[in-house]
Amino acid sequence: MKQPYKPRSDRKFVGGYRPRIDAWEKASGKVEYVDDITLLSRFPGMLYAKVMRSPHAHARIRKIDVSKAQQLPGVVAVMTYKDPEFASLRATNAGWTDGVDTVTYDRMMWRQFRDRRVLGDYACWVTDEVGAVVAAESEEIADQAIRLIDVEWEVLPFVLDPIEAMKPGAPLVHPEITQNNVLPKEKVGGDDVFLNKGDVDAGFAEAEVVVDGTSTHHNATQASLDNWCCLVNWTDEKLTLYSNSYEADQSRMHISQMLDLPLHKVNVISSYVGGQFGRGDTGEQPFFLFTAVLSKKTGRPVKFRHTRRESFHDSRQPAIYYGKVGAKKDGTITSLYFKSIGNTGAYADHSIFALKFAPMEIAEASFAHIPNVKLESYGVYTNKLPACMMRGVGNSQFNLIFGHVIDLLAEKLDMDPLDLCIKNFGHEWETLPDKSLVEVLKQGSEKIGWREKRHKPGQGQVYGKVKKRGVGFSIHPAWHAEWQETRRGHIPVSITLNPDGTVILDAPTVETGTGSNTCNVLGCAEALSFLGVTPERIHWNHVVNTETSMKDCVQTDSSVSYLQSEVLAVAAKEVRKEILKRAEPLLNAKSGELDIIDGRIFVRNNPDQGLSVKELLFQGDLVPIVVTTSRVPNAEKTGVPYFANFAEVEVDTDTGKVDVLHLVVINDCGTVMFASGAEAQQVGGQVTGMGEALTEEIIYDEATGVPLNFNWIDYKIPTMADMPDVDPILLEIWKGAGEYGACGIGEGTLTCTPRAIMNAIYNAIGVRINDIPIKPEKVLRALGKV
Amino acid sequence: MPKLSKGIKKNKGTRKTVTAQPSEIKIKINGRWHNFVPERDITPNMTLSYLLREKLGYTGLKVSCDEGACGACTVIMDGKAILSCMMLAVEANGHEITTIEGLKKDDPVVEAFAQQCEPGYGTALQCGICTPGFVMSTRALLNDNPIPTMAEVKEALSGHICRCGCYAAIAQAVTHASEKIAKKGE
Repeated sequence: MKQPYKPRSDRKFVGGYRPRIDAWEKASGKVEYVDDITLLSRFPGMLYAKVMRSPHAHARIRKIDVSKAQQLPGVVAVMTYKDPEFASLRATNAGWTDGVDTVTYDRMMWRQFRDRRVLGDYACWVTDEVGAVVAAESEEIADQAIRLIDVEWEVLPFVLDPIEAMKPGAPLVHPEITQNNVLPKEKVGGDDVFLNKGDVDAGFAEAEVVVDGTSTHHNATQASLDNWCCLVNWTDEKLTLYSNSYEADQSRMHISQMLDLPLHKVNVISSYVGGQFGRGDTGEQPFFLFTAVLSKKTGRPVKFRHTRRESFHDSRQPAIYYGKVGAKKDGTITSLYFKSIGNTGAYADHSIFALKFAPMEIAEASFAHIPNVKLESYGVYTNKLPACMMRGVGNSQFNLIFGHVIDLLAEKLDMDPLDLCIKNFGHEWETLPDKSLVEVLKQGSEKIGWREKRHKPGQGQVYGKVKKRGVGFSIHPAWHAEWQETRRGHIPVSITLNPDGTVILDAPTVETGTGSNTCNVLGCAEALSFLGVTPERIHWNHVVNTETSMKDCVQTDSSVSYLQSEVLAVAAKEVRKEILKRAEPLLNAKSGELDIIDGRIFVRNNPDQGLSVKELLFQGDLVPIVVTTSRVPNAEKTGVPYFANFAEVEVDTDTGKVDVLHLVVINDCGTVMFASGAEAQQVGGQVTGMGEALTEEIIYDEATGVPLNFNWIDYKIPTMADMPDVDPILLEIWKGAGEYGACGIGEGTLTCTPRAIMNAIYNAIGVRINDIPIKPEKVLRALGKV
Repeated sequence: MPKLSKGIKKNKGTRKTVTAQPSEIKIKINGRWHNFVPERDITPNMTLSYLLREKLGYTGLKVSCDEGACGACTVIMDGKAILSCMMLAVEANGHEITTIEGLKKDDPVVEAFAQQCEPGYGTALQCGICTPGFVMSTRALLNDNPIPTMAEVKEALSGHICRCGCYAAIAQAVTHASEKIAKKGE
């Protein structure tokens, strides 16, 4: 029997172990995703869209002839990049915002990198959407029509490797933006050297021990089972979009700005989404727009959905990192230097966010006590698929080098790496040691058996003649505290208290599986506990409809778990005030003389004089009490907590196969909002983390640039049979501002997994492999066996 | 597009279920026989998952990979879990199909998946899109083997992908479903 976590303070609902509020609907198959909602039977006359895809890694259309496609029975419209509807659209980017805030075209985060056409004549990677779109009576016909389009391509030389792409004479992917494929300096990310604190050279000179190393993170994909899908119905009256984008308000803004429609004429509807994990970065998918144009052209609703293979068009950005660290013999770090080269792929999107913004946050939260720090980065265009957010944004890539140099340094100093971390890392607003980090490491090391199991690299016991075991870990600062979310602006919620005491909760967000809906119902019940309301008597509205809902709080930064609950704590006070005001004439007392406990209102000095809230509300006009309020996240700088992963592995030195035996995931949450949901995130994240560490990689044919494994048979995602025992540990050590002072954990649960596994492999076999995924051939090569 | 008869000739002798050109195709779905007219209702290359979802509206099953790699489209045919994206609709002729919509409201497997929340495992579902597939495979497993070992559970469910990663809790839910079935004496 596994043990529950120990809450810092007693709460009625928040932090509990319980089922999700949508558990039965999901387990029974009743929940409808966008592909279920947009069946032909529900949208009579609906057409299906398909887009042409480039067979070349880098090419331009010289000539296009769509006449055969147009003649195919069942084809209703064929449009090309030459049509004014597309030619007139402004160049764009698929990463207007990180999802934290809604932005306009002019204020998009990466306005210097408007490198995408909604439908253009230029393709930058194999399967790039380009040239023409079709709307037909069936997907089969639309597919066939696409195959009937004759294109004369100007095939251009291409480049897949970022280091090759940086060399003079390399093919240029977006010459209008950069003449050497390196993304130029812009406002958000800053210079190539984007942090230069103190003097790193002097710091290395002062150091008694200096180590350095590299790490490589390959192309993994989010692999949401809910393939991209949308339906657009653009009538004379308005444009309606159903989609599985997780940003309803931003999608509305995107469509409004790109298609020049007033906001009230764009209605975006999103319901449950079958997994997000950062795919597509944000809500500005160009396919919304070409589907919309087809709908207007045909006067019919048009559905566009990816096949699974097409849905491989998002990925985690691959990055090569170099790291160097210098320290005194006692382990005091004097200097830190990291340099990265990120493979941006065909379009910039949020690339710089991964390469510069995320490491800056880490520096603020972990390197504050290190006198000399230098961070340098290059985002490089290539002809691979565009890449960026995937359960984190650059954090996993950074952790791969961070955990590496820590392990290297500790070995050289003959010091326990746990002690090395505690000695050096902590945030700007606290003195060392960082209490959160200390406890995270204590709990994790105890659970994995760190002291007993760790041995000199490669020197442990041998099992069954060829198998060696080892343990490893890695740490990372969280990046989801309230003060990091202020850019969201006002977060609105609404509580409707019905006369019978039940509650309608409007805390709009697109539910992608994170469980924030349950967190918010618990937060609402907690805040209304003076009414004696239980979560079962609260209805949470799961549809975000930009015509009828308030602005949605986007599931980015894993922070919706607490952000809306913080606002609900404020709203509940307003509900209380309104109840007391209504009770005044009935109880012949002023509000200040009244109290409410467990749904009963009474005069404080005379507790027998009272009535229930239901009795109160069933009188008079039966109008529910509605409180709508909003709050900007608290900007108080409270630092962030830590999280860590520990791993135990067994390496077969004959076959090179790595088996993960045990994983421990430790998250300091500030406040646990919903324990079963938090543990689901912790345990669940390991599937992607372990997959990225050992098996998951998009493989290209280097000769043509063709991706070879856009399917789940050749792109290996761990299944139930592959996963080891995972122990989730929830802590409440750090606390942020606000009622709960919580911190999001979902993305970070897998940030440290690859590095923890890699360090464990080193501990097992005594040879370092710094290039993930660690497939058997890499192990055998490292062992000198191939 | 090939005609139905052509497809059937090709399959003759290799597919027991399609031994002659049927004038109609009969499939029992969730307890009720449905009659389909070949070509009009069911084309030769139509998958069972397409028929169930797009034509009949049984959207509990999901088509995600559409090539037998993820398990999201799992339904039960004659008591066995099958991948409906890997079976042609015509191959279901004469057979009995159960989709998740055909389970009882208080099905112990559905209940166990929904209720799973004990400390240390998390919930058995997050985004929920893979869940109906897991539920149907579990239902078929427990029909055959009411008290499976953990190794048997892992074997039976390892054809499914849950990207949210709820495998540990799913395995717990299967155990709890098995207990519930034993208690109900089903």
